Amino acid sequence: MASVQVSEAEKVYIMHGVRDDLRVDGRGCEDYRHMVIETDVVSNTDGSAKVSLGHSDILVGVKAEIGKPRALVPDEGYLEFFVDCSANATPEFEGRGGEELGIDLSNTLYKVFNNKHSIDLRSLCICPGEHCWVLYVDVLLLQCDGNLFDAISIAIKAALFNTRIPKVHISEDAEGGKEIELSDDPYDCVRLNVENVPCIVTLCKVGQRHVVDATLQEKACSVASLLLAVTHKGMVTCVRKMGGGSLDPESISEMTETGKRVGKALHAPLMDLLKKEEGLGKNRQKVGFLR
Amino acid sequence: MPTDTKRLRGPEESQSPMLFLPPDAQILKASSRDGSRGHADVRPIFARCGLVSQAKGSAYLEAGNTKIICSVYGPRETERKDETDMKSGRLLCDFRLAPFSCLKRGAWIQGNEERDLSVALIESLQPGVCLHRYPRSQIEINVVVLENDGSILAHAVTCASIALADAGIEMYDVVLGCTLRQDGDTCLVDPTFAEESGNWLGGYGENQGRVTVALLPNFNQVSGLHADGEMREDTLTEAVRTCMDGCHKLYPVVQHALLRAVKRKAPPSVK
Amino acid sequence: MSPMKLCVPGERLCSTEDCIPGTGTYLRHGYIFASLAGYVLRKNEGEELPVISVVRETEAQLLPDVGAIVTCKVTSINPRFAKVHILYVGSTPLKDRFRGTIRKEDVRATEKDKVETYKSFRPGDIVLAKVISLGDVQSNYLLTTAENELGVVVAHSEAGVQMVPISWCEMQCPRTHAKEFRKVARVQPEYLQA
Repeated sequence: MASVQVSEAEKVYIMHGVRDDLRVDGRGCEDYRHMVIETDVVSNTDGSAKVSLGHSDILVGVKAEIGKPRALVPDEGYLEFFVDCSANATPEFEGRGGEELGIDLSNTLYKVFNNKHSIDLRSLCICPGEHCWVLYVDVLLLQCDGNLFDAISIAIKAALFNTRIPKVHISEDAEGGKEIELSDDPYDCVRLNVENVPCIVTLCKVGQRHVVDATLQEKACSVASLLLAVTHKGMVTCVRKMGGGSLDPESISEMTETGKRVGKALHAPLMDLLKKEEGLGKNRQKVGFLR
Repeated sequence: MPTDTKRLRGPEESQSPMLFLPPDAQILKASSRDGSRGHADVRPIFARCGLVSQAKGSAYLEAGNTKIICSVYGPRETERKDETDMKSGRLLCDFRLAPFSCLKRGAWIQGNEERDLSVALIESLQPGVCLHRYPRSQIEINVVVLENDGSILAHAVTCASIALADAGIEMYDVVLGCTLRQDGDTCLVDPTFAEESGNWLGGYGENQGRVTVALLPNFNQVSGLHADGEMREDTLTEAVRTCMDGCHKLYPVVQHALLRAVKRKAPPSVK
Repeated sequence: MSPMKLCVPGERLCSTEDCIPGTGTYLRHGYIFASLAGYVLRKNEGEELPVISVVRETEAQLLPDVGAIVTCKVTSINPRFAKVHILYVGSTPLKDRFRGTIRKEDVRATEKDKVETYKSFRPGDIVLAKVISLGDVQSNYLLTTAENELGVVVAHSEAGVQMVPISWCEMQCPRTHAKEFRKVARVQPEYLQA
């Protein structure tokens, strides 16, 4: 992953700051950086969102296509994740350089959504065993400035909120053959219920404490971090320890507790914001470069 | 390609009928686990070192029907040159599920799941290995799952750490792994494949999940933690504790396997 | 003799007050722990405390370290440096090949500016050298032969016969009596035994 070199003196400075609950950029240990969310930014998608968290920029596009349901779950649609680490973000990603990170990120996303409640997959079913909606969630990293996981999960939630799936009708002819009919009205669509979509909270252990939304510098000072995917009810859908260090059991339970608290608090304002933005319709002010 | 329309051809894709059996609801009930195993019991494991004579170190591990073989090569000169490699060594991992290891035949090339397991394995082992003693070099860990009967990541961690110790790679501690399957309020330690997937697919109940913990037993430090599903926070914390207990149960076997391998070689001459 | 104590990585051996940590061990919070699976050895070396170490029948994998004397084989030369494969560290053979570089200015200690690599080494020569750096991202291990005891120990003449050293900078072929230039090592007896 994109990383920075931090000298010993800088490390000591950052760690002492974290110990006193004051980080280099003035935040407390459980504060996120400034976040900018915009939805409906790419016209060719069924749903899209762009999230900037500090200097991390993430663009997510959701495309719905009709596919065949998986044999084991004939009455459900499914989600496909793909994370592209573009060389725009850092030259290290050029060629196949970003492939490893991309696979790592998308595998984690599959795990985050590997449960029955995050998205009601049954609502994506068109005709059991034959046709279903497949949501292709494509994530593009435009800029990397630490804490990619959290930013991506928020961007995905926003993009799924923004997603409109066209309504289809199934008509049966006399011989029992089925036909899918697409509604003529382009505004006749279905929305997804994204209330249960989890947000990822990454906690970096710096010294004896842990910080939320670590910058690259802070990340360089930590040997281990814990990734938690938390729903608005406080349920944990995915946990992963990352980095080359180990954690003692007490700090794991402390970190899970913090993660749950922070993650839970993240959802309500996010949903409010998304609804408010949608209410503004076409008149909303564009902040990003995408129009 | 010209097709013979007169001949009746089968469907392009086929699936094993085994996959469509109703999920065995009995599995998660009471103490019917393979006879007499309790919910918190791990399967008895069998571990041996030094099967692959060509490798620097190797290990074979069996837990119930889960069978894993692991070999370690190196340290050797690193292929990829990064800034970080210069001060300390690097672990490389190639995790494979043999095509015949699962219910459904897998492919020989490494799939997404296997890559994910490789990353998870490295993350779990790294805290236990004294990598700073191996500057500029890489240590290769190859894991092949011969038979998948659940908890493969956890057992692969244990197996790989035995192989590393057998290879004479300096380690802070051995690394032990344990998996737990949470289903509502019951939890099953070291689940079999059926228990692992069991009701998972059918049920929409709350508090479903799977937790894998890697532990450094002598320091009581958690070196790896992977969980998915949907769990309450308190359940998760409890699950981590249960897994740690499960890991500690494996320690005597691992210790025995390593000591046996050391004893088999002649003791060093004391000068 | 009582059976020797065995250990596995992570086992606590003793406190630092009782022993000095040797190979195969590490320190943590004032205690000595084993980092290898093997036999526990305590050795008194005239110091106040015995040295505790963990040994295995097969030598723990050694890696070339700064200051180590290594035996290597020259693979290629150019005007600026010679490329070598490191074969031995001390007297321990390496399982895998490690590549090293002897730069022109590290060939000998005096008249560094007049060194010509072609007159110091030839591909195929067996050279004793010392590791001066592990190198950085671009380079391999950096080695030096700038000591009397370091340099070419085995070399073959153009006729394919093993040559005999006649001075610190020349070797002679016993068959054709042709002289060739080399940076010859004055081999120390202790290395010969190894």
